[in-house]
Amino acid sequence: MNTLKKITDIKNWKKSTKINAAIFVLVLIAVVILAAVKPSEEMMIGRASPEMQKLIEKDAQSTRKYVTVTYNNMIIINFCSFSSSGANEMTERFVGFAGKVYSADKGKAKVVGQMVNYTYRMLGCGENVMHGAKLTILLTTLTIIIGVVLGIFLALGKISKKKLINKFCGGYIFFFRGTPLLIQLFVIYFSIPGIFGFAWRDLFSAGDTEAVYKGAFIAALIAFSLNSGAYCAEIVRAAIQSIDRGQYEAAKALGMNYPQTMSLIIIPQSIRRMIPPVCNEFIMVLKDASLVFAISLVDITTVSKNIMTSEGSYLVFVPALIIYLIITMFFTFIFNKIENRFSVYE
Amino acid sequence: MADNYEYILETEHVSKKFGSLEVLKDINLKVKKGEVICIIGPSGAGKSTYLRSLNQLEKITSGKIFIKGDLFLHREKNKTVERIGKEHQQKLLLNMGMCFQRFNLFPHKTVIENVMISPIHVKKINKKTARDEAIALLESVGLAEKADQYPNRLSGGQQQRVAIARALAMKPEIMLFDEPTSALDPELVGEVLKVMQNLAKEGMTMLCVTHEMGFAREVADRVLFMADGIIAEEGTPQQIFNNPQNPRTQNFLKSILNA
Repeated sequence: MNTLKKITDIKNWKKSTKINAAIFVLVLIAVVILAAVKPSEEMMIGRASPEMQKLIEKDAQSTRKYVTVTYNNMIIINFCSFSSSGANEMTERFVGFAGKVYSADKGKAKVVGQMVNYTYRMLGCGENVMHGAKLTILLTTLTIIIGVVLGIFLALGKISKKKLINKFCGGYIFFFRGTPLLIQLFVIYFSIPGIFGFAWRDLFSAGDTEAVYKGAFIAALIAFSLNSGAYCAEIVRAAIQSIDRGQYEAAKALGMNYPQTMSLIIIPQSIRRMIPPVCNEFIMVLKDASLVFAISLVDITTVSKNIMTSEGSYLVFVPALIIYLIITMFFTFIFNKIENRFSVYE
Repeated sequence: MADNYEYILETEHVSKKFGSLEVLKDINLKVKKGEVICIIGPSGAGKSTYLRSLNQLEKITSGKIFIKGDLFLHREKNKTVERIGKEHQQKLLLNMGMCFQRFNLFPHKTVIENVMISPIHVKKINKKTARDEAIALLESVGLAEKADQYPNRLSGGQQQRVAIARALAMKPEIMLFDEPTSALDPELVGEVLKVMQNLAKEGMTMLCVTHEMGFAREVADRVLFMADGIIAEEGTPQQIFNNPQNPRTQNFLKSILNA
């Protein structure tokens, strides 16, 4: 209830919050207006070159030829692609702001226009609807959550005085930090099913058309989590061991046993110290997630590579970088917020 | 647990070695209920080690410790000889509360949570009762209005008072103080000593390692002078401070009182 009051109390917002909110509202209004502007078919065809217009007219009579006209109203720039199946193939591209359209082959407009267009396609147009970014974010977030939980247990194991547990956890960390992630992914996706005689897609019902992708996703998630667990274990161990010995002594003098000491006193304190390195690990995983293209999962990297192969454009990787940057920025912001929340007592 | 015990705390032949270094040499001590004992001595004499070995923060090399007449610990040559049931041992351990030189409050918990945490999780008392008790304890150390603050916002003296309240929340019968005022600014020492004095008046059994000679003289029933791992001299404050017999005690007191 309190938080709600704080959020709705606009008068007492910080100046930076007010500015951000204003920018957000303006962008929202612009998007809504632009989304409402839908170029008519005549308008789009009117932009095409005379040759193309002739071709379109001709195609209209034919039953075997098709003309595709696409536009992109969200990002102001229009993109028209005209093509016909069969022998008389012809494509034209146009970029520009609503009402003012230039041929895409002229000067700067080409670079900017195509890049924005590719960004747009990756984010939400065509068959890869947000697919790439969604998969990357989902995979990374799940990996970090599982990785940190796994890391806490591994770290406790590694600082444990019981020899067997200690050796096992140490060996695990040694193995997963000492081998390449790509090969770990291959082992889990290809070798393990080979050895035990199952297929990852069998986890889902036979009727599921996306079973192959879902299976690959599960395999990737397992590989990434196991790997990340090893790295997180070292982060957690460092954080736990940085807590003052006096805290253990105080807990012991108050009659707490080891699990109570750890769960009530030590781990809550070490979580705050874990956040910056875990944020770092998160960004590493985000970037490592691009390795899934090797097992044919469609993430940002795969989408941009597909677009490159199908259209022969080398520009497509620039928006890919930008999307990665935006995701990183967003999650760094979130981690900062979490860190502030945990720092209240300092 | 026997109630008709003679001594609330008893140690027999307690020794402690760090490698070849002998820190405690055959220490025997008998403490009656309600007694206030101050342990003084030069640094490195083993005062803190002795206090910490009483509630197992240090493992003694050999010796016996009795609490309320019950055997709490018996070790010889660095090995536990007589195994005492874990639950029973825990019960005996909880008869001792401890305050540290550096307070060791839990920084991620508020003052009242610090006081409540152990009764709730160790003694399994319900939250409301624990809260009421915690507020009463904080009132008795004069910090009720700071209940919802984090420890790092408090002064050293206030933190140490919270630490005392936290130890008292487990209702111990013996309080161990390990140099409770050594990390404090001089003007804050008084408030902590006052709380300890009140505690002594209420009949709490106390063992206190301290460098506050004024406090030892005024409050203690018995003063132990420790040097080189043994109790070099013991007696009432009058005996120790006014008429020390051992030359080491004389030297120590001379250097401290002239400083």
